[in-house]
Amino acid sequence: MHDDGSKLFLYLSDLLNRPISDPEGRVRGRLTDLKVRLGEPFPRVDSLVIRRRGEKLARVLDWSSVETIRGRSAVLKPGAESRLTGLDVGNEEILLREDLLDKQVVDTHGAKIERVNDVHLLIAHGELRIAHVDFGLRGILRRLGWMRTIDAVTDWLFSYRIAEKLVSWKCVQPLASDPKKNLKLNVTVRKLHELHPSDIADIIEELDRANRSSVFRALDTETAAETLQEVDPKLQLSLIETAPPDRASDILETMEPDEAREFLADLPEEKMESLIGTMAPPFRDHVKGLLKHREGTAGSIMTTDFLALRGDQTIADAVESFRNAIHPLETVAYIYITGEDLRLAGVITLRHLLLCDREERLGALMNPHVLMVETDDDIATVADVFNKYKFLAVPVVDRNLVIRGIITLQDIVQATAEEL
Amino acid sequence: MIKDAIRRRWKGLLLFLAVMGPGIITSNVDNDAGGIATYSMAGAHFGNNLLWTLIPVMAALIIIQEMSARMGVVTGKGLSDLIRERFGVRITVYLLFGIFVTNLGNVIAEFAGVASSLEIFHVSKFISVPLSAVIVWLLVVKGNYRSVEKVFLFACLFYVTYIISGILAKPDWAAIGTSLVRPSLSFSPGQLGMVIGLVGTTIAPWMQFYLQASIVEKNIAIKDYKHSRLDVVLGSFIVTIVAGFIILTCAATLFKAGVRVETAADAALALKPLAGKYCSALFAFGLLNASLFAASILPLSTAFLVCEGMGWENGVNKKFSEAPQFYGLYSFLVFLGAAVILLPRIPLFRVMLISQVVNGIVLPVVLVFMLILVNSRKLMGTHKNGRVYNILSWITVAVLVALTGAYILSFVG
Repeated sequence: MHDDGSKLFLYLSDLLNRPISDPEGRVRGRLTDLKVRLGEPFPRVDSLVIRRRGEKLARVLDWSSVETIRGRSAVLKPGAESRLTGLDVGNEEILLREDLLDKQVVDTHGAKIERVNDVHLLIAHGELRIAHVDFGLRGILRRLGWMRTIDAVTDWLFSYRIAEKLVSWKCVQPLASDPKKNLKLNVTVRKLHELHPSDIADIIEELDRANRSSVFRALDTETAAETLQEVDPKLQLSLIETAPPDRASDILETMEPDEAREFLADLPEEKMESLIGTMAPPFRDHVKGLLKHREGTAGSIMTTDFLALRGDQTIADAVESFRNAIHPLETVAYIYITGEDLRLAGVITLRHLLLCDREERLGALMNPHVLMVETDDDIATVADVFNKYKFLAVPVVDRNLVIRGIITLQDIVQATAEEL
Repeated sequence: MIKDAIRRRWKGLLLFLAVMGPGIITSNVDNDAGGIATYSMAGAHFGNNLLWTLIPVMAALIIIQEMSARMGVVTGKGLSDLIRERFGVRITVYLLFGIFVTNLGNVIAEFAGVASSLEIFHVSKFISVPLSAVIVWLLVVKGNYRSVEKVFLFACLFYVTYIISGILAKPDWAAIGTSLVRPSLSFSPGQLGMVIGLVGTTIAPWMQFYLQASIVEKNIAIKDYKHSRLDVVLGSFIVTIVAGFIILTCAATLFKAGVRVETAADAALALKPLAGKYCSALFAFGLLNASLFAASILPLSTAFLVCEGMGWENGVNKKFSEAPQFYGLYSFLVFLGAAVILLPRIPLFRVMLISQVVNGIVLPVVLVFMLILVNSRKLMGTHKNGRVYNILSWITVAVLVALTGAYILSFVG
C-alpha cells in the first residue's frame, strides 16, 4: 500500500471477512486472516490470507500487492492475483485470527493471563501494524454487534459508556497455539523476563500443561530456578520432570544445595540419580552429602555453604575467606572455628572481623560456648533452638562433633512452614 | 511375587483415590431434585417397566463423559475455553447465555427441592431456603478446591439412603430381574414421554463443562488418565444404581397402590403409609441431600464456564477481589435461585419449562462441538477418538439430540 501520509486505527474484527476486489472493483474473495512477523516492538502485517470464491484453500498475498485496505473492501493492485502463494507460517510468524484472536496471552504489564477479544491495528506510512490488544468487554460487544445498542442504553441510563481496555503490544506475550511442536515461542518469550519470578510462577500455574512446559523451557536457568521455587509444589515436580535432564540439573545447580536437595528428594529414585549424574562435581558432592540424611532431620535441611577456620588462623585469614565467600549474607553471619581434630571449637561473628586487629588469633577471640545441633536431630528440636536463642544460624555437627553444615533462620522457617 | 502384586494393587488404588472425584461428583449431581422427581414418576406410573432404560442411559453417560474427561486431561483446558478458541466469540457468548439461563432454572428447582424436602420434616421454607443458600455460598467462597471436593464426595455417600429405602420398600426382586432381562416398551405417548424425560434429566450440558473443568483444576496427568476414566465409569454406574433404586422403591409401593405423584416430595409423603415412616424419611432426606448438593455445584459450574469462555479470572482458589465476575455470578445464581422460591405463588412449572426448552437447544450444540473438538488432531494428538468409538459417539449424540428434541416438543405441544 502506498503512503499517503495519513494514520488510521482499525480493529481486526472489522477487517476480517472484508471483501477483496481487483482494481476494476470486482469482488474476488474475502480476507480470512493476517500474517504478522514478530520481533519488532509493533510488528508489521506482511501478508493477507484470503479465500477466493469457490476455492477451499486459503491463499496468501504479500502486503505490497494491496492498493488500499480502507473503505468497504480491500482493493488489490493490478496483477496481484498472479502473485498468490500457498499458506506457510514461519517460525517467527503468527496468524492474527488463528493464533491470537480469542486465545490466551500473557499481559506482562498486569502480570496475568488474558483472553484476546480483538486486535487494534494502525495504518501509518503505508504499513499495517499491531498497536494494541483488546482485553475488554467492549471488544466482545463490538464483535457481537451489540456495541451501539449497549452504548445507547448505558448512555441514556447512566450517562456512561463501557470503557475500552486496550493494552500496548509491547506488554503482550502471545503463547504458542500448538506448544507441542513449536520453537516459535522461544524466540519471542523474552517479554516474560520483565516479570518477577513469582508473577511468572502464578502465570505458569494458570496455563494449560503444554504451554506450561514450553514457557518454562523458554526461561533462562536463573529465572527458571527462581520461578520453580515459587510455583505450587505439585507443579514443581512435573516441571522438573518434563524438562530435559541437563537443563533440569542446570536449574538445580543455580539453587542453594539444600534447596536443590529438597527437589531431588521428592523425585522418583531413577530420575534423581540421573539428574545428580549430570551435575557438575562440587555441586554434585554437596547435594549427595545432603541426600544421605533422613527426611525431617537437621541434616536434610542444612546448607553446606558456611565459613570454618582453624583456631591458629588470624583475623586477616578470616577477612580473606569472608571476601571470597559468595554465599548469601545469612550464611556468613558467623564464622566457625575448629580445633586440630576438625571438631567445632567456637564461633566468632562479623563484629570480630570489623573490630579486632588483623594479627589476632581466632582461637583466642572465639566464644567457646557454641550451640550446635546434630545431623540426626529432628526439625522440631532445631526449631526450638532457634526459638530460644534467636540465632541467625546454627551449626550442624556429626557424632564426632565435626561441623557438616549450618541451618539458617531462613532454612528453618521454610522447613517448619512446609510441615504445617 | 505376591507381595509385589499386592503392592502394585495398593499403589494403583492410592493413585485412583488421588485422581478420583470429578467423575463421581458430576454423575451424582445428576441425581438432583429434577432427576429424583423423574425417577419417582417413572416408578410410580410405570412400575418396573422402564427400569431397563437406565442401562442404555448409563452407556450414553459413560461415552459422553469419557470424552469430556479425556479432553480435560489431554488439553488441560476447560470446554468453554476450547469452544471459544475453536468457534469464536459470537457463538460462545450465546451458548454461554443459554447455559446460564437453563442452569438458573435448575438452581431454582434445587432450592424448591430443599424447601419441599424440609417441609416434610416440618421446617418452614422461610428458614430452610435462606439458611441453605448461605451455607452453600460460604462453602465455595471460603473454601478451596480440595476442601470443597471433599465435602462434595462426602455428600455422594448420602445417596445410599435411596438404596436403604429401596430395600425397606420390600420390592419383588424376581420381577425386577425379569424386567431387566426382557425389556419392554410400549409406544404409548405416556411411556415414551417418560423415557425421553429420563434421558433428558440424565444428560445435561453443564455436566460436560463441570467435569472437564474440575479435571483441569485437579491437574491430572495423561499417564493417570486410566484412573480418571475409571472415576467416570464408576460415577455413571453409581448414579444408575441410585436411579434404579428410586424407581423400584416407587414401583414396589406407589405403583402397586396406584398412587400418582408429580414431585419427589409427593413421592416421599406417599411412601409413609405404604412403606413406613423410615422409608419415607430416608427418601426425603435423600432429596434434601441431592438438592443441596446440586444447588452448590450448578452455580459453581456455571460461574466457571462463563468466566472461562469470557476470559475472566476464575477458580475457587482465588479470593473474591481477584475474581469478582466469578464470585459475582456464583452469588447471583445462589441468591436469585433461593429468592425465587420464597416469592409467593411462583409459576415454578413455567420456569422449569423455559429452562428445559433452552436446555434442549443448548445440548445438541454442546455435544456436536464436543465431538468436533475431541476429533481435532491439533488438540488431542494421538488421544483423539478412534474410528469405532467415533461411530458409537456420533450415534449416541444423534439419539440424544433426537430424544431431547422430542422432549421439548412434548413440553411445548
